Amino acid sequence: MNQNTDLLTLRGVSKSYGMVSVLHDVDLSIQDGEFLTVLGPSGSGKTTVLRLIGGLEPLTAGEIRLDGQDISRMPINRRPFNTVFQDYALFPHMTVSGNVGYGLSVRHVQRKEVARRVAEALELVQLGRFADRFPAQLSGGQRQRVALARALICQPRLILLDEPLAALDLELRRQMQEFLKSIQREIKTTFLFVTHDQEEAIGMADRICVMQAGHICQLGTPHELYYKPNCEFVARFFGENNLVAGKLGAVEGEQRPIETALGRLICSVSDQPLLKAAPDGASAFAVFRPEALRVAGSTESDNHFSGTIADLAFAGSSTVATITVGTDNAAQRLRLRVPSRIDGSALKCGETVSLSFAPHEGHLVLA
Amino acid sequence: MSLLAAVLAFALPVVFVVVPLALFLVYSFFSVDQGTIVYAPTLGNYVRFVTDSIFVPVFWNTIVLCVSVAIICILIAYPAAYLLTTLKGRWRYALLMLLLVPLLMSYVIKIYAIRSILGLNGFLNKALVALGILQQPSTLFVFNMNAILLTLSVLLIPFAILPIFLSLERIPQTLLRASDDLGASGLQTFLRVTLPLSLPGVVSAASFVFVLAIGDFLTPQMVGGVSGFTFGRILYSQFGTAYNWPFGAALSVALAVVVICAILIGERFGRNRGTSV
Repeated sequence: MNQNTDLLTLRGVSKSYGMVSVLHDVDLSIQDGEFLTVLGPSGSGKTTVLRLIGGLEPLTAGEIRLDGQDISRMPINRRPFNTVFQDYALFPHMTVSGNVGYGLSVRHVQRKEVARRVAEALELVQLGRFADRFPAQLSGGQRQRVALARALICQPRLILLDEPLAALDLELRRQMQEFLKSIQREIKTTFLFVTHDQEEAIGMADRICVMQAGHICQLGTPHELYYKPNCEFVARFFGENNLVAGKLGAVEGEQRPIETALGRLICSVSDQPLLKAAPDGASAFAVFRPEALRVAGSTESDNHFSGTIADLAFAGSSTVATITVGTDNAAQRLRLRVPSRIDGSALKCGETVSLSFAPHEGHLVLA
Repeated sequence: MSLLAAVLAFALPVVFVVVPLALFLVYSFFSVDQGTIVYAPTLGNYVRFVTDSIFVPVFWNTIVLCVSVAIICILIAYPAAYLLTTLKGRWRYALLMLLLVPLLMSYVIKIYAIRSILGLNGFLNKALVALGILQQPSTLFVFNMNAILLTLSVLLIPFAILPIFLSLERIPQTLLRASDDLGASGLQTFLRVTLPLSLPGVVSAASFVFVLAIGDFLTPQMVGGVSGFTFGRILYSQFGTAYNWPFGAALSVALAVVVICAILIGERFGRNRGTSV
């Protein structure tokens, strides 16, 4: 991977349909060779980003630069990008090889050369035997791979994938995720992958761009987003974080306390200038993951509180406990995840337990 | 209840379509003597049809005429239907309805109108003279085969627009975007995606127009004059003037064979092959 070279830059990109604005002033850099996932709920504008880059729709404002050159006005058929559409959009009247070779044959590549590269591409997506079938004769996963082969045969600078796995069942989706990732490593092409599924995003992406309501909330590695969300939306969107509302106290080095219904919680603010600079008393959330909570084995410096186990859910390798903390009118539910044991969980419903988490596993986001 | 529905579903076409056709077939093996039908089976009618020097050439010319009508209708209807599908929302259907309005008008009135347009002093001749294309009014399309060709084409265009429009409208937009995305020009997208995917509609339209044209005897009768002699007119005269029902039935069977072939071709190629995308 040639890291840190920007392939594509979006600057101040906006898009409106009539009076409805779906994308506001978006800045985004896509690095050469990376697998970037755009993640967001439906209506967040993630697909619009992809359609604007692909040239399927014109920008309302801003610019898109490829290698520093403005391509905002470049027509769709001259952009060196190819799209894998959500519903595959395979040509029903062409065979698999006809579909895959389409991008080359419309560029008047010689027939022999087309045949060679089609065979190569079909080999790559493991569909060599299906070259003469029609799309209607293929399964969902196979169509998906044909669509991928069709997109990558033109050796685009960037492959755009619009929720390509949404229509597949869970098992197939898992396989396709690994498959896409391995292909991306093999051909070293930049992938821009749009999805609403955070698990999918975490599993595949080098970097994730989280979008909400036409804005980019956070852009970072899956690890960063998972452990260091920068806003309430990201913190809530990524799985089952515990969020506890409170007021910020005075900064203490790389840590900052927050006064909550659970008492005073100390959380880390290293590498978070925004939270270091926030005024005392500002509303914020303490964020900590269910697996960061511990029932026993705490040390003096940890954050302590006690709660009652309201529910236990066995989830295979781990068990998730729902815990009620605080008094009735300020009661709050937290999640605790502990490894499952063959002799049954040590936790019992209705039991009151004392809980803790280490300050470096706590995190703050502004409300 | 469902049994009754099933019986009706089979009985109605049998009573109103199959039985009359079968009667035609049976009658075609009878003959006529002194104006009365002789109910003795004979192949005489078919032998006469094949051996007489009039019928086969007229039969053939009529088929050629109707194929030409179908081609002209397709050539005019395709661009019209294509333009319709490029329109947005309400306009699309408003204009489609407008194009189909002639179907609500009386057939005979339409033929009269077209006849006066085609006439020696008609609009077409006057326009061509005014434009300097012709020196003087021409008899090129007055009471002959050309007149039939033009009239049938004008009358049947709406029947061609509808199936083509429907097949064009059914093409998913993402397929066209995918073609653009893969680097195809507008023309390439049309030729390689739009056109092939709309061909079933074109074939349906063509077989539709052909079948309607070949069964029409009124139009040739009214605009064909003496030289515009079609198979439909011969058929009509056998039933109406010559009172030779068995021979007319034999000619009908010949015509029905062609029509059924046209419908089968339309059915075979007019079906979309598994267009799940």
